[in-house]
Amino acid sequence: MLLEWGANARTVRHAVDSTARGLGCDTVETYCQHAAVMVMLRRGEQSCMQMGKVGEHGVNLRRAEAVLRVVDDVSTQALDCEGALEQLKSVIARTGAYPVWVVCLSTGLACAAFGKLLGADALAIVPVVIGAATGQFIRHEMLGRKMNLFLTITVVSFVSSLIAALGGRLLHESNIEITAVASILLLVPGVAILNAQVDALDGRPNLAAARVLRIIYILMFMTLGFIVSQQIARF
Amino acid sequence: MSPEFIHLIHQTFFGGLAAAGFGILFNCPPRIIGLCFGSGALALAVRTVGIDHGLSLPVASFFAALFLAMADRAWLRVQSVRGSVIAVVGCIPMVPGSLAAKGLRNLFLLFHASPGEGVLPLTTALENLVIVGSTFAAIGTALAIPTLLFPVNQHD
Repeated sequence: MLLEWGANARTVRHAVDSTARGLGCDTVETYCQHAAVMVMLRRGEQSCMQMGKVGEHGVNLRRAEAVLRVVDDVSTQALDCEGALEQLKSVIARTGAYPVWVVCLSTGLACAAFGKLLGADALAIVPVVIGAATGQFIRHEMLGRKMNLFLTITVVSFVSSLIAALGGRLLHESNIEITAVASILLLVPGVAILNAQVDALDGRPNLAAARVLRIIYILMFMTLGFIVSQQIARF
Repeated sequence: MSPEFIHLIHQTFFGGLAAAGFGILFNCPPRIIGLCFGSGALALAVRTVGIDHGLSLPVASFFAALFLAMADRAWLRVQSVRGSVIAVVGCIPMVPGSLAAKGLRNLFLLFHASPGEGVLPLTTALENLVIVGSTFAAIGTALAIPTLLFPVNQHD
């Protein structure tokens, strides 16, 4: 759950360690991979090894915090094993989320701010907000339907940059390319990039390499959607 | 006001706005969206000052991320996901995504280049990608340094 919601391997290891010791284990070994977490527990003469699958990696701070609160309660023995399982199962239902329109609008504004940082003029704000907000809505809908991540990225990149480029042209903007680029920056996997660094520095090259490979593919599909849309926008 | 100061205010404000927007995208609780804005603004302010004083993009990004990570570490004694996310969200506006897209786009342009005309797009692509790689490495390393230098145990 923690890996799926944006934590790095250090946080996962710490959470597993605290939980296991809170439940009375003597030693804990954790092996974090991109698609699975393996845990080896020992208590006296007994030992147990478990492997859990990891789903699509994303970022969701509120859910990660909720999981860590359960971990804290288990480590201080305020919560037993059954109670912790109940709490973990209800994390998604218990944690709040912003309405979709708020997320889309704020993503659009964030991309517009990126555009301003890149040197776009004030006119660029409107097409970037519309393009990026539309792209975020499409991403939300496609990922909600469990569609392929790379297909989603290509579609979002294509639609967002096409809307931004056409809008920029309509408003007679001076630098349409910056406008189009700014509208797809919601797709740059910033947290994954930084987590890959932390994992590499923490001595987990396998997880870091898997993250980097995924980042390269995401950037490639993002660029593909962008190039196709810009070819169309020129006509 | 001098043009440099106006530029600094501009970068600071839009850096904060970008970080706050990404904070909402990452489902940060409403009470810490202001902190996300502050961390993004702080990072961009330090990076802008660095670039204005002649530092390259990767070096200025390194110092900005280090400053943010040290402030985060000083503020939160205990390592938490929340603390690291505020520092990470603050660094998001410094991630050179547009430069990465430009570098990859130049690589794709090689498909259209006639024999002998591919040197310019290839050089530009490599130049962009080297800067992007260095900046990613600089930000990630700077964020990790405080936790490597001053590891804090949750149970302390």
